[in-house]
Amino acid sequence: MELLDRYLQAVSKYLPWKRQADIIAELRANLESQLDEQQAELGRTMTSTEAEAWIRQLGSPVHMAAHYQPQQYLIGPAVFPVYKYVLRLACAWAAVVYLLVSAINLVVGSATVQPAALGSALLNLPFVLIQVAAWVTLIFAAIEFTAAHFPEKCPSIAGFHAKWSPSDLPPLERRTLSGGTRRSYALALTEAAFGFLVLGWLLLVPQNPYLMFGPGVAFLHASPYLLAPIWMTVYWWIVALNAVQLGWRCLDLLRGSWQRPSQYQHVIVKTMGLVPLVIAANVHDRMYILLKRPDVDLQAYGATLNQTNQGIHSAMLILCVIVSAQLAWAIAQAILDIARNRAASK
Amino acid sequence: MTLPESTFENLRLELRRGCLTLAVLVQLRREHYGYTLRKDLTEHGLMIDESTLYPLLRRLESQGLLVSEWREEDKRNKRFYRISSDGEQLLGQLLKEWQAINSSISSIL
Repeated sequence: MELLDRYLQAVSKYLPWKRQADIIAELRANLESQLDEQQAELGRTMTSTEAEAWIRQLGSPVHMAAHYQPQQYLIGPAVFPVYKYVLRLACAWAAVVYLLVSAINLVVGSATVQPAALGSALLNLPFVLIQVAAWVTLIFAAIEFTAAHFPEKCPSIAGFHAKWSPSDLPPLERRTLSGGTRRSYALALTEAAFGFLVLGWLLLVPQNPYLMFGPGVAFLHASPYLLAPIWMTVYWWIVALNAVQLGWRCLDLLRGSWQRPSQYQHVIVKTMGLVPLVIAANVHDRMYILLKRPDVDLQAYGATLNQTNQGIHSAMLILCVIVSAQLAWAIAQAILDIARNRAASK
Repeated sequence: MTLPESTFENLRLELRRGCLTLAVLVQLRREHYGYTLRKDLTEHGLMIDESTLYPLLRRLESQGLLVSEWREEDKRNKRFYRISSDGEQLLGQLLKEWQAINSSISSIL
């Protein structure tokens, strides 16, 4: 039957060439016997429709040939969990290192940051991550291949799991009883990457004020006003706050504790956030904006300047109250959590 | 919520896989070639696809549980299989295991 010959030919294309002829000869003998018997029952040869229906129920040639192959894995189930863990870690750290190096290059490379260079650095990130993922996959595929083909020459992959000890398990994570959903790995990673970008952006602001003020820089240059030195103190506090927060996020990623960052972190970050506001609210003579040439412009702009400084001071006081209330709430929640955890562990 | 049909199908296949190997080993105490073995199993109520049975025979042979030889029958060259001595020994152990599982499940039910 021509259709059967065509089917067997198609199956043979997907078989290993060493066993191809033998498998096809056996399959042909079995299928031809089946065909003979079915035709004997019918008392005639099969019609083309019947033959097609019979061949179809055998399964596609790829399906048939696949059953003759041993199960093959690029990365098998024994290695896969380790592969997934390493891949996530490698991608996270590649992103962190790449963003850090790019930020340093941008700052050191030129006095002002070119938007094109910044854009190109960001656009390259996916390609860096693809390369890292490809290398990790290649290494694990090589491990799998070696373990599958030379099991006697390399320690068993399953052996890794056999050596574990229950006493090496990490301690139980503290439960946050006051609610709060677990953060996903993707969210934690995005926060860390975004933290690096924000820190890089902040560090670039003193040399490139347009990054913060945009076209307002031109107005500042042209106006008779200038920012008081207090803003530099506040600026460095904000940089320090971001650096601490970013350090914690990276540490959480590294320790695998990104799902529930510690309550202490939350309280410390909130406290650090309050400090620059308190400093700004208590600035000497409430001077936030100064005149570039006070001897010349005091008479013309003195009243406006006082009004503006008073307004900024009031805003600082309101902010201080809001952030203090938030801090008090965070502290109360942390205390409540500690008490609940203690009660739950009794 | 009803479970998808595929869930049942996957579990059924998983359940049958080991049983089919056992049935094949038992049936091959007498020599068969692929097609007659399939017919035999079907007559005993164990339907098995060609794409499952024929590769299974090769796998069992490569594990040393079956032996085979090419021989002409009805003017056609066929590969005949029968259980090896190692296969016989293993079959005994598997049957004991099967009976133990069967009685455990029966007692649970």
